[in-house]
Amino acid sequence: MTAPSRTTQPVRRGSATSERAQIIKRGYTARLRRGDLLETIVYFSVAIVLALFLADGGAAYFVNIKDVTTGLGIVTGLIGSDLLLVMLVLAARIPAIDRTFGHDKALALHRKLGKPVLYLILAHMLLLMIGYGISQGINPIAEALDMIFNQQDMSIAFIAMGLLILVVVTSLVIVRKKLSYEFWYIVHLLSYAAILLALPHQFTQGMMFADGTWARWYWMALYVGSLTAITIFRVIIPVASSLRHDLRISQVVVEAPGVVSVTMSGRDLDALRAQGGQFFQWRFWSANMWWEAHPFSLSAHPDGRSLRITVRDLGKGSSKMLSLKPGTRVSFEGPYGLFTEEARTTTKAVFVGAGIGITPIRALLEASNLAPNEATVILRGSDTTDVYLWQETYDLCVEKSASLRVLVGHRPRGVHTWLTAEAYGQGESLLTLAPKIKESDLYICGPTPWTELVIRDAKRLGLKDHQIHAERFDF
Amino acid sequence: MRAGSAFLAGVGSAAIVAIGWQAGVGTLVSALPQSQAAASGTSSSAGTSNAATPADASSQTATTAPAPSGPADGTYDGSVVNTRFGTVQVQAVISGGQITDVIAVKLTDADRKSVQISQQVAPMLRSEVLTAQSAKVANISGGTYTTQGYLKSLQSALDAAGFTG
Repeated sequence: MTAPSRTTQPVRRGSATSERAQIIKRGYTARLRRGDLLETIVYFSVAIVLALFLADGGAAYFVNIKDVTTGLGIVTGLIGSDLLLVMLVLAARIPAIDRTFGHDKALALHRKLGKPVLYLILAHMLLLMIGYGISQGINPIAEALDMIFNQQDMSIAFIAMGLLILVVVTSLVIVRKKLSYEFWYIVHLLSYAAILLALPHQFTQGMMFADGTWARWYWMALYVGSLTAITIFRVIIPVASSLRHDLRISQVVVEAPGVVSVTMSGRDLDALRAQGGQFFQWRFWSANMWWEAHPFSLSAHPDGRSLRITVRDLGKGSSKMLSLKPGTRVSFEGPYGLFTEEARTTTKAVFVGAGIGITPIRALLEASNLAPNEATVILRGSDTTDVYLWQETYDLCVEKSASLRVLVGHRPRGVHTWLTAEAYGQGESLLTLAPKIKESDLYICGPTPWTELVIRDAKRLGLKDHQIHAERFDF
Repeated sequence: MRAGSAFLAGVGSAAIVAIGWQAGVGTLVSALPQSQAAASGTSSSAGTSNAATPADASSQTATTAPAPSGPADGTYDGSVVNTRFGTVQVQAVISGGQITDVIAVKLTDADRKSVQISQQVAPMLRSEVLTAQSAKVANISGGTYTTQGYLKSLQSALDAAGFTG
């Protein structure tokens, strides 16, 4: 990037800034274009599925009334399978997707597709029970029993259906925080079993893989492609990367009561290309922690020799962090996330962090390329124990000539606000704390309800969705 | 998604579906209700997935030598025709210069639906063939693949018999 010139001529400064603005704009446009391309591919995949169905004479099902149910049953099954594979790809941690939409948005879309896909596949089952029932002159239940007991591969297809229902239901329940992460994770692995169990009936009963059709090649490519992507990006690369970098804990520092910073060092860490603001899924190979993996953000921009995270005692997993010893082996998946400098759409930036949410904000600030007086940092804590890493953040603000606003204290009673009672009483707001916010990128990290309140205020000020970058810590 | 891209994605998707429709329109025509297909006077061969097996020449199982005046009495095997839903083969029984019976040796049976269709379609085709004294009868709707395989196999049997109608 352009180094600030010693001779501070206004003209020269202006051109350097506009050059930087252009680079950011170009990056943003490229990202938009990639996003549109990926979305288009999803629409096309559904269109191709329909086209292959029609090319195969599928329209014939819609000529006679008695075949319509069967035709709809086939179409819902085809679109459902296609979108199920799209869901798989969205969860595969493919770098191109992560760098375009961000890990959290890709998973949000994955979650959003869950219910519609389940409904499509349920419709597929029910419509074909009815449709084949009609043509055989028996009721749908008798038809289902006939399928299960007499038809090749249909019994396991029904098991797959049951597994799929289980996976979606547990996912909906865990959103309401009633199940443990580990239980949900194990159940979620069953979705692979569901996909594999459903595969044979598509060969033997359906026309998806009929010999000599284009559909055969399309579906084979889709299945092989998505399962390969999952294997590569969720298994092979994390294992290979963990082995290669040989990460071990080098230092554990208590920052505040219940808050520790863990520094890890390893080989060739530059090759990870991790950036401040990103997170990893960490697994610490100590006797009491090796079976669980935790998503923690970096709390410092990587320097090529070490990685640092700062963790607060939130759940049972985090409290064990205090007992970690230097030398402990660490394996990881990542880096993930688009809560980075890459997400910038303009030269100015506002960073808002609360509590443990300071960690990615601090690392991101360190990684950010900021001209003097272009950034504002707002830190929020509920009391004086809640201010860890603030000194480091203050030093970074000085180094980058960024404004720093600090809000300590409890929120006012009976008012929905992300501010402290004191700041609220004095009439402070996003606009008074960060006057340039309307033409800035806004990065927010903190507890989800608090984050929502900051986003609400930002939108009231007229910030657009693409300006708002919020890191969400759900899975 | 930006409006321009959304428009392109929409148009592209529609085009893909249209191409699929166009490619499938032949099979659609042959699946139209009988009266329409019959009116056009063809048993459509538009079902492009049907791979003919010309190499599989018909064999004659009848012992009677063919008389020069017409087809000899006997049972003639039709060729084995591959369809997406299984192979199809029929035999034609010729007696006194007439098609007196068509015996289904093997019908589409790839899945249960195919078996079901075969069972419905074969008797209908047989009676139509016996009435028309020809393999050129209308397609049975909903049983396109079976119909095509059946009539193709029958035609090869009739050719082997030297039956010209």
